Parts: sequence; C-alpha cells; structure tokens
Amino acid sequence: MSGITVFQAAKIITMDPNRPTATHVAVRDGHVLAVGDAACADQWGRVRHDNRLAETVLMPGFVEGHSHMSETCFWDYTYVGFHDRVDPDGQPWPGLTEIGAVLARLKDAAVRLGPDEPLIAWGFDPIFLSSARLTRDHLDSVTADRPVVVLFSSGHLMCVNSAALAAVGYDRASNVEGIQRRPDGEPNGELHEMAAMFPVMRRIGMDFRTRSHQRAYVDAFGRICRRSGVTTATDLFAMVTQEGAEALAQATVRPEYPVRIVPAVSTLHSTPEEVRAQMADLRRVNHDKLRFGAVKLMTDGSIQGFSARILWPGYVGGQPNGIWNMPPAQIHATCAMMQQAGIQMHIHTNGDEASTVVLDALSAAARAHPWPGARHVLQHAQMMGPALFARAAELGVCVNLFANHIWYFGDQHAALTIGPDRAARMDACRAALDAGLTMAIHSDAPVTPMGPLFTAWCAVNRLTMSGRTLGAAQRITVPEALYAITMGAARTLKLEAEIGSIETGKRADFVVLAEDPLAIDPVRLKDLPVLGTVIDGHVDAMI
Amino acid sequence: MSLPRLPLTVIGGYLGAGKTTLINRLLREDHGQRVLVMVNDFGAINIDADLLVSADGDTMTLTNGCVCCTMGADLFMAMGDALDRRPRPDHLLIEASGIADPARIATAARAEPDMAYGGIAVVVDALHWGALADDAQIGAQIRGQVAAADLLLISKAEGGVPPALAARLAALSAAPQIDVADCAAVAPLLLGGLAPLQGKRDGGGHPAYVGWSHEGDEAMTRAALAAKLAQAPQALYRIKGLVAAPDSTGWEVQVVGRSIEIKPALDRVARTRLVAIGPQSAIARAQIADWWSQG
Ligand SMILES: [Zn+2]
Repeated sequence: MSGITVFQAAKIITMDPNRPTATHVAVRDGHVLAVGDAACADQWGRVRHDNRLAETVLMPGFVEGHSHMSETCFWDYTYVGFHDRVDPDGQPWPGLTEIGAVLARLKDAAVRLGPDEPLIAWGFDPIFLSSARLTRDHLDSVTADRPVVVLFSSGHLMCVNSAALAAVGYDRASNVEGIQRRPDGEPNGELHEMAAMFPVMRRIGMDFRTRSHQRAYVDAFGRICRRSGVTTATDLFAMVTQEGAEALAQATVRPEYPVRIVPAVSTLHSTPEEVRAQMADLRRVNHDKLRFGAVKLMTDGSIQGFSARILWPGYVGGQPNGIWNMPPAQIHATCAMMQQAGIQMHIHTNGDEASTVVLDALSAAARAHPWPGARHVLQHAQMMGPALFARAAELGVCVNLFANHIWYFGDQHAALTIGPDRAARMDACRAALDAGLTMAIHSDAPVTPMGPLFTAWCAVNRLTMSGRTLGAAQRITVPEALYAITMGAARTLKLEAEIGSIETGKRADFVVLAEDPLAIDPVRLKDLPVLGTVIDGHVDAMI
Repeated sequence: MSLPRLPLTVIGGYLGAGKTTLINRLLREDHGQRVLVMVNDFGAINIDADLLVSADGDTMTLTNGCVCCTMGADLFMAMGDALDRRPRPDHLLIEASGIADPARIATAARAEPDMAYGGIAVVVDALHWGALADDAQIGAQIRGQVAAADLLLISKAEGGVPPALAARLAALSAAPQIDVADCAAVAPLLLGGLAPLQGKRDGGGHPAYVGWSHEGDEAMTRAALAAKLAQAPQALYRIKGLVAAPDSTGWEVQVVGRSIEIKPALDRVARTRLVAIGPQSAIARAQIADWWSQG
C-alpha cells in the first residue's frame, strides 16, 4: 500500500455540497482519501504533508466534454489566425489582424523549412480582416519555389500559391468547381471544398486519420490539456481502427500522462450486434486513462456555414436551409439501434430542426428499447430553447452547449445568420439549467482553443468580440459555470462517480489555480492563471 | 509509361433506392476490369462464397480481381489510398451515403490529376422518389442528387418508367434516364468499356446496348474536340478514349451523359481511339459513326 500525501492549498473548491471548501486533501493510491484540514487523514495512519500547492487554489480537474485530439496535428503547421493562440509547448502565437502580418509570419516560417518541405499554415479567418482578399500573388511573394498552402479556419477553404497550383495542374482550362478565378480566368489561389482541396492535401502529406493517436501527438494533446487545467478530455469523433486504439492505449497508459481520454467513435455499422462487437473490441484496450464506449453521430452542419438545419423563419439572408449529414429516417434508425445495443451517443446538432429530429428519434428509441440510464448527449445544441430542453429533461438526455461560440461568432450570428433575437437565446445555459438538465459547456477544440475557464467566462458574461452582451437573460452564475466544467461535463461522460469533484473515493485529479475563481470579478475568469494539474495524485504544476 | 488515371464513378441515391443491388450486380458481371468498390457498410453486400478469395475486417477480394472495401470515416483520404494501391485498380466506384451530394465526391475526380471523371449515376426508386422529393426535410437534397446526376438509373419501375416521374426528373436534369431492369448488364453504364468486351464476345452479351469503337489518325485541338463532343448524339450514355493532338501529348476523354471531361493525356497519343455506348432502343451504331466522321 502506498503512502498518504496531504496536500495543503490556500483554498480547495470541492464541488461537493457536503463540504464546499477545504484547505487540505489527502491522497492515497491515486484517489482522494479525505478532505478537510491538516488533520483530515490522521485517522488513516501516518501521512506525508506536501506544501508545494499551499499558495494555490485547487479545484477538481476540468472536464472538456467536446474536443478533438486532431488539434495537435495542426500545430505541425504555422498558425495564422485572427485570434491569439497558444501552442502545445506554451508558446503564444499572437492573432494576425491584417494580411501583411500573415505574410510576414509565413516568410518567417519559410526560412526555417527543409529544402523540399511545403509551407503549410492554418487558422486563417478572412471574415475578421478588413484588408484585401488573400491570393496566390500574396503567397508567391512569400516563396515561389515550393507549395504554400493556407488553410482557412472553417475547414472548407484554402488559398495556395502558384507552385501548389502547378503541382496539381490547376490552370485556366481546369473544369473543377471550387477553383476560384481572377477576372482573366486564371485561378486566384482560393480553393473551395474538399474535392478541390484534396489533390493539394494529398501531395503535401496532410492525412490526419491516424496521426492524432500517435505518441508525439498524444503527448502534445496532454500538454494542451494540462495548460488549460483539463484532466479529462473527449476525442469526439475519433476515427479509429483497432490498431489505432491500441496505440492510443499505449500512449496514454503511463502514470505521468496528464489526461484521461474519452473517445466517441464514428461507427459505420448498421446492426446492434455489429456495433456492440466493435465497441466490445475497443473497450478491451481501456484503462484508467482511456475510456472507449460511446459513439458520435453527425446530423447537420454549422450555423455560421449556413449548413445547420434550422426551423422557421430560417436564415436571415434567405439562404436555403442547411444540409443533413444523416437523413432523419437514418437518425431514427441509428438512435433506435444504439439504444437497443446499449451504447451512449454524443449527437452533433447545431440547428433547432436537427435538435428536434434527434429528440423525436430518442423519444421513439426510448419507447422501443427502454434504458433509463442511457444519458445520450446533444452536442452543441445551440438553438435549443425551453421547450426542447423540457423534452430533453423528460428523456434523461443531457446537453453540451457551445458557449465559446458567443464570443467568437455571436456578432456574426446577430448580423448574418439567425438575427439578433435568436442569437440572444443561443447556447441557452440559463434555460438548460432551469429545465433541470445535466449541462456541460465546451470549446470544440480546435474550432476554438481549449480553455474551460474561458468557456465558463463565456457562459457567465455572454460577451461578444465587439463587446456587446448577447442575451443577458441566458447568463449563468460563476458557481454554475464551474459546475458545468467539472461535474456537469463528468455526468455527460457517465464518469461522475470517479471525477468532477474532490471528495473521498474519487480520483485525485485537480486543477491548480493561482486565484480563487469565486472571489474574482467574473469578467476576469478567462484571465485566471492555470498553474498546472494533478492527475491520480501526481503533481504536474508550473510553480 | 505513366500509371493510367483512375476513373471514379459515384453512385448516388437515397437509402433503399437500389444502390447495393446495383453494386452486387456489377461485382458479379464479367466485365474484365479490376474494380475497387468503396461502400459505407458491408451489411448489404452479398457475394457468393465461391466468388470470394478472402474477406477480412473491411476488405473483400473477389476471384474476378474486384475488391470491395469500406471507406472509413474519411472518404477523400480513402480515395488517396485507392490511388496508392499497386497495381492501381482499373476503376474506382464509390457508393455515396443516402443523403450525400454525389457531386461533392465526384468533383475530386475532375480535380485530381491522377483520376479521371467517371460520372455520377444516381439510382432513382420509381416507387418512392416522388414522395422523397416533396419531403419538407430532405426534399431539397433528394432533388439536388438528381440535378447532379450524369446518368439516372431508375429502379423498381416494374414495366416502364412512369411518364410523370420521367417528366419531373427531366425538369431537374438532362441526364439519360435508364430503367435498370432493362439492362442486360450494368458494367457498361457504370464503367463504360463495352466495346472491348464486344470484340471478345461479338456483342452477344449486351443486347440492350449499342457499342461503337473507333481508331483513326485525326488530331484535334482541345477546343475542336470539346466542340465535337458537345454535338455527340444525346442518347449516348458514355464516350471514352484518347484523342491525338496537333500540338500536345493529346487528350483523355470521358463523357458521361451530358458531362464532358477532357484532360491532357499522360503519355503521347499516337492514334485516336474512342469507344461509346448508348441504348439500342434510341441509337444505332451508324449514327454514332456519322457524328464522329462528319466535318
Ligand atoms: Zn466537434
């Protein structure tokens, strides 16, 4: 039996209503043995006191209920986004607000490349830039002797230089939808949608399918999590083979690996038996830090891409309604099959029409195959209001709302997609909690950077990039937001018996904070420094 | 010699329209090509045990050289894998999922220098298509599939395509409408290449089709070739081949329905060679020959 360590902190916020705060937590065998004062574990035998964290505030390790491990693959490339971002090694990459700055960063990166290496950049977001549109000529000025590829943050566009166009043979004669052109008919460098982008990606070796589960990338993901205080994170739409799952299991099994990974896999099987067999194979590789077991379904697209399925009155610009990734009949069939197979689903729904169809399907599935503990989760669920939340509550369905959207895209939603009245009630955390739902909030990293305190800040303040408060009535309190990024998210992963609070019997997973989030001005929540994390009682803090 | 381009044909159509039936037929036919078929789900693929060489988790290999596999979660990367296979398959056939826009996939074949555009065949269920096309939730995507089609394959038409359906489809798409029940073989529709088989079998196997093949010394500019192909008889399902050029390596041609695709040939074309197929009921071999030979 290993010894008992008693960590002292300036304050411990436990998320356990029986003892909301404490100054000491005792850890044995990677679990919380006792919580209280310096003597809290004395009745258990000899203890060792650890004062390294004495000046810090401890909370349960944050739980990111919707992220993607592919984030780390992008950091192989140069970040050229509008927003500030921090790489896995902690280096800050300031946001770039005009094309000149983008080109300067690209030139800087080009100098450091090997002779035949293409220059690849990511995160470019022209909607925030007022300057002229990025073209092949700009990128030719960076370097003409190798392909230059700038991926846009939406994932649907890229801009490339003349060398890249030449490599795939795109010219004025190319009969390809998606090649954007200058008035003279020559490609201007912008390529739209995967079909036109794929030949370029193929030639520069951009294949993320298995990369994010390789050791170096898994380690980098751990560093991102530790820096943002996350000790459990999802990989929500993991494309895995059995070999990939085994590699991931090996990469995460070391005691010092700082985060528990909860993948939700994409499955293509169509019978309960096949899915059950696939999940059983995957579960076989599970250990304390890796939890296969759930699946992910995609139903519609995104609101800012006008591909979310939304109800009347539709998009304010009169755009046609969005795109189903799965037709409603298949959503029904799949929900019934998963429910029958006893497999939890994380279901992507952005628009309110998609959320409605999914709730219809879950309701039918619940009648056909009763499973009180199914706890399926609607992911994003950005346009759900009180009526849909009430239905979710009746069904025992959870929601994970995309609070970060309010700051990143709130102004655009008010101006361009669904208008100010519906934007003001997007990601309606207040209404979800009032309906009694289990609610998490998320970053969808890499869509927005991982950072549960930032996500909590969004849900508490609902400020947009322009500084407006978008829907004051849907704000929640700081304690409610802190619950959402710990116990709330743990419940959506069915892990609340193990993680999400600091109380006897749970895993010793903590986030180490510089200040008390309950004591500071709520508008400072996003700026509160995360000093590191503790996982299974192993301290990994930058102090 | 360069590795030949990999032609891609996409099969679209809603769930239950008959895409899998079509694929099962193709895999059984004696078309002489090593076709790689990528499907979403093996569930409905149904290969007789005596035709199977091997079947592991996500790949089935057939005695006729065809391979059937699942595409995994990234369709485009799976296309890259197909291109990297050695030997490279003769043809790639992708089953689009029920609601997908087949053009989103097929466009990759126009874009990718190592691929050839083999067209979009959309399977239309004569019994249910009308209701699906009017559905408030999915109607727009269902109609969009037909609008994207190069060939419309009508299934479950028991005794002929209903005129009302034919008219509705025609309003959305100029693509030829083909009752699959009338087709002796589906390979000519999906892969082209009836003519080489005809040589072998003297045309006896495919009574519903007319095949035409041509070999000659003509050399054409891209513009002249495009103009010529634009005047091809409307009834033709497919034309493919290599055309010599006066001032370049030559052209690789793929015509499917009303879609015309011309790419520069990878190796110099010494002699023009073309094959075409169309329905026996609507076109005669002499008509095709006339079109090509006239001025
Ligand atoms: Zn996501």
